[in-house]
Amino acid sequence: MVKGLSNLINKEVKELLRDPKIMIGMVLMPLITFPLMGAAMNVSTSTIQESIKQVSVLLLDKDQGPMAQSLLLAFQSMNITVIKTSSSTVDEALNDLQQGNSTTLVVIPQGFSQNLTLGLKGQLVVYSAYKSLSMAEGIKSSAVDFPINLYKNALVTQAISQAFPNRDPETVLDPISVSNLAVVKGKIINVSADVLKGVFISQSMGFPMVIMLLLISAMQIAATSVSIEKEEKTLETLLTMPISRLGILTGKLAGSVVVAAAGAVAAMVGVNYYVGSVFTMIPPQNVSMEDLGLTMSPLAYGLLGVTIFVTIVSALTLAIIIAAFSENVRSAQSLVGPLNFVFILPSLILMFADIEMLPPPLQIVLYAIPYTHAILASKAAFMGDYFTMLRSIAYISVFTIVVLYIAAKIFTTEKIVTARISFRKRGLRKPLFKQPKLPEAYVPTAT
Amino acid sequence: MNQTAIEATDLFKTFGNITALNGLSFTVTQGEIFGLIGPNGAGKTTTLRIMATLIKPSSGSASIFGLDVEKNASEVRKVISYLPEEAGAYKNLSGWEYLEFMANFYPLDKEAGQAAVEEAAKISGLGERLKDRVKTYSKGMNRRLLLARALMMKPKLAILDEPTGGLDVVHAFHVRRIIQDYAKNYGVTVLLSSHNMLEVEFLCNQVALINEGKIIGQGSPQELKSRYGAGNLEDVFMEATKLG
Repeated sequence: MVKGLSNLINKEVKELLRDPKIMIGMVLMPLITFPLMGAAMNVSTSTIQESIKQVSVLLLDKDQGPMAQSLLLAFQSMNITVIKTSSSTVDEALNDLQQGNSTTLVVIPQGFSQNLTLGLKGQLVVYSAYKSLSMAEGIKSSAVDFPINLYKNALVTQAISQAFPNRDPETVLDPISVSNLAVVKGKIINVSADVLKGVFISQSMGFPMVIMLLLISAMQIAATSVSIEKEEKTLETLLTMPISRLGILTGKLAGSVVVAAAGAVAAMVGVNYYVGSVFTMIPPQNVSMEDLGLTMSPLAYGLLGVTIFVTIVSALTLAIIIAAFSENVRSAQSLVGPLNFVFILPSLILMFADIEMLPPPLQIVLYAIPYTHAILASKAAFMGDYFTMLRSIAYISVFTIVVLYIAAKIFTTEKIVTARISFRKRGLRKPLFKQPKLPEAYVPTAT
Repeated sequence: MNQTAIEATDLFKTFGNITALNGLSFTVTQGEIFGLIGPNGAGKTTTLRIMATLIKPSSGSASIFGLDVEKNASEVRKVISYLPEEAGAYKNLSGWEYLEFMANFYPLDKEAGQAAVEEAAKISGLGERLKDRVKTYSKGMNRRLLLARALMMKPKLAILDEPTGGLDVVHAFHVRRIIQDYAKNYGVTVLLSSHNMLEVEFLCNQVALINEGKIIGQGSPQELKSRYGAGNLEDVFMEATKLG
């Protein structure tokens, strides 16, 4: 039995990994496409960063006063190249903007310095030229906002200092200091809510994403492993070999898990590289789940492992049952495809919300889907909520036992050979064209 | 005295409204090459599939060397080898890997397993091409590989559905010679079906004529020809269906 099973698993892995559809589609594609996408994004973001460094502003200074001069210094302090236009009118300056390399024209109207000195509102007009619809153009156009805001703050600070010589302008501007502390599992941690939110998001998105990817690819592989036997007419021979039918079912499940795991690892490596490339501009969070006291105990690890195992077994068995009714790989994959919805729905919803927050009807729908419980168990693992984990394992296990029983019934009876979905039989598909009246059969007369 | 290899008694098999077998009975003695001949849809493949434990009869019974095909299916699988009419091998394995995979299902030590695979390699006559993936094989090469797989363990009973179906003259000749050799040299009992009356006449010791799910005549090719006063099995069959 063990020899037969390992023989079958070995063949399954070999056969599946040598199938170009699976090798390219499920292992190589994620391994290549995601990093390529990441590299492309990286090149793109580097280009944007470089182009921002080379931002130049066209300046039409009709004021010529001291405040206009100090604004110019604010621009230069931010490494922005300022080109004073020789034009005397706005129209001419706009023409220069469109002809030249600058992305922004800043017009300082006459009276700017005077207004500010008198305590009145100063006026600035900023024209942004969009030469293409790229993200870089948008970023370059808003490059002047920062020095202008810096200059405004300096004016405000100066005004406060003059009005309240004995007070710190910072205190006047921001009179209340707020310390953000988080209490997680009874432990006080000195991190802001924003940082904590980031950690939770990355954590709550990670596991559902992995589970979703693993299950979707595993189901396709399991469905392929059974339907390819039917398509290539190898199943009947296999079923007459001296190995139990349950052994064949187990071999199919185990082989699919091995290949799916390879696919999931490839996808995760690819996605990880992609995410790493895309978010290079965002500083990493310095807070880990360990810092928050949200470490998993060995028991939680064990229970999470059991959860993942029963979840995968149930999904694969479901795919094998469906594939048993199809006649070829394409129809098996088409039939399994809609099932992806039951993984995507809980994964997507629970990435962003806790199940208790949802409206009761949606909660019922989600609780009914076994794969919801895998995600709930993953969240509970960090919180040390063993009751939720055990409840999830129990629910998925019951579902797994039911689908395994059905699969075993199909494999141990002639259903595995004879079962097929026929729409025609149930009158669901009518002939597209009128059927012609057929002539009588030819009767030979020669003796 | 030779043992009874197959005993089929009053077999019925229905698929929905279609009756595939309609009270079919026959007996095969050990060492015989027994041919089932009949038109398409007569019930030949259904009979072979029941013997191969793939499907169960709706009623009636069948046993292989005294083992009931329903109750002792797993024991039956240890003594039979089945070659379906439309069989394939795993395309992404090499011919050699395919044979190794199939041999590994049997409880053999490493040397015996290796010997079985080498035996199959000889039967197939594919030589160096066994190192190539099955997907590069022609139909004839594929069939020879499958027949080699079916015979490599020298089963007590080989069930061969249209063993030369779709093969050219040269390949068909090779396959027929192998079947004959294995029955003669190793005492392998063969139950085969065929449309090719010439082939059946050449190969089989015993022939059963099957039509509309039941046996309408049985005997050696010579007996059948003299019984129906016919010059060949094709005429025998046409006569038998008229009378039946």
